Amino acid sequence: MKVLLVDDEKKFVLMLARRLNLRGIQAEFVYTGAEAIVLVEKGEHFDVAVLDVKMPGISGIELRRELEGLDPRMKFVFLTGHGSSIDYRVGASEAAFYLPKPLKIEELIKTLGRLTGGPVEDANPRH
Amino acid sequence: MVNTKDFFQYDSLAFFGKVNASISHELKNVMAIISETAGLLGDLSDMASMGTPIEPGMLKSCTGSIMEEIQRGFATIRQMNRFAHSIDTPVQSVNLVDLLDLVINLSGYLSFCGKTCLQPCEDVTPIALTSPFLLQAVVYETLIYSFKHTGPGVEITISLQRRDDSAWRIIFPGFNVNKLQVFPDVVTKAMAASIGVAIHCDSAADRLELDVPLMIEGVTAHHVLPEMPDMGNASRTRA
Repeated sequence: MKVLLVDDEKKFVLMLARRLNLRGIQAEFVYTGAEAIVLVEKGEHFDVAVLDVKMPGISGIELRRELEGLDPRMKFVFLTGHGSSIDYRVGASEAAFYLPKPLKIEELIKTLGRLTGGPVEDANPRH
Repeated sequence: MVNTKDFFQYDSLAFFGKVNASISHELKNVMAIISETAGLLGDLSDMASMGTPIEPGMLKSCTGSIMEEIQRGFATIRQMNRFAHSIDTPVQSVNLVDLLDLVINLSGYLSFCGKTCLQPCEDVTPIALTSPFLLQAVVYETLIYSFKHTGPGVEITISLQRRDDSAWRIIFPGFNVNKLQVFPDVVTKAMAASIGVAIHCDSAADRLELDVPLMIEGVTAHHVLPEMPDMGNASRTRA
């Protein structure tokens, strides 16, 4: 499984990518929507894009539309540090999965498994 | 002039809520990084216990990252505390450099805001007898409006000048007349008017100016809460 992480919180995506990589999930990360679009335009395919909702420039909601246009096979998960009921409704209407920060890695892995058609059984790092 | 306690209407409360939401978002990001980094340390511990050698540099990097985020969290809480106390006294002597510094820090918690620099006036401490909370609201709305119309990654330099013997002037560059047609909105305009702040556009210089009176007209001594006596460790209560 190949996952694209997009979040302007640089340390957050770095740590999350490392943790996913330890679990055998190929995770790449960028800090802006513009960088994500360039990657996909170059022909890179990702099974799932995990997007922060609020980012400078292109928001996660706008980015999802752009990426979906470039690669209709791609699935989406939204992450947010906001917790209002309005944010939740907007997020839930835009993507099948909407996870709050701070994140539980097991929950993300379960979500990725659902989106790609099969649960990722091992949520523990590979030894 | 209305009693200063009447300044704090619902719109002020909405501003208070908006800023607090942005602070909580910042703190959630801090916690998210600490959570992921601690999680990674846990992963590495699990691997080490299974006999996988762990690079010491990785451990050092993780603990360093946690320490940095804790400091970021403390810095955010300091700004939150300054903001919370800005409503303690309806009208008081305010150092405008301190007020602008706080507003700049608060605006930084919004993802679309870039870097803001402050160019203070030289050789003089800019003091005004005003409502710190409402002036913050007006400056904050002006600053975020500037960023919304300049895009990400832009640096804005706010400058502060003595206009004349009756007012200070806060200058925002990059405002043209078209922008002024939609700014200030009704709420910001009303808040500015309530503390005598004039908002006008210098279209020749492409900038917006906020003129802050040295003292709010009609505010007399009884409107201003007296300084609390020194009570040692006793906490200061709100009016």
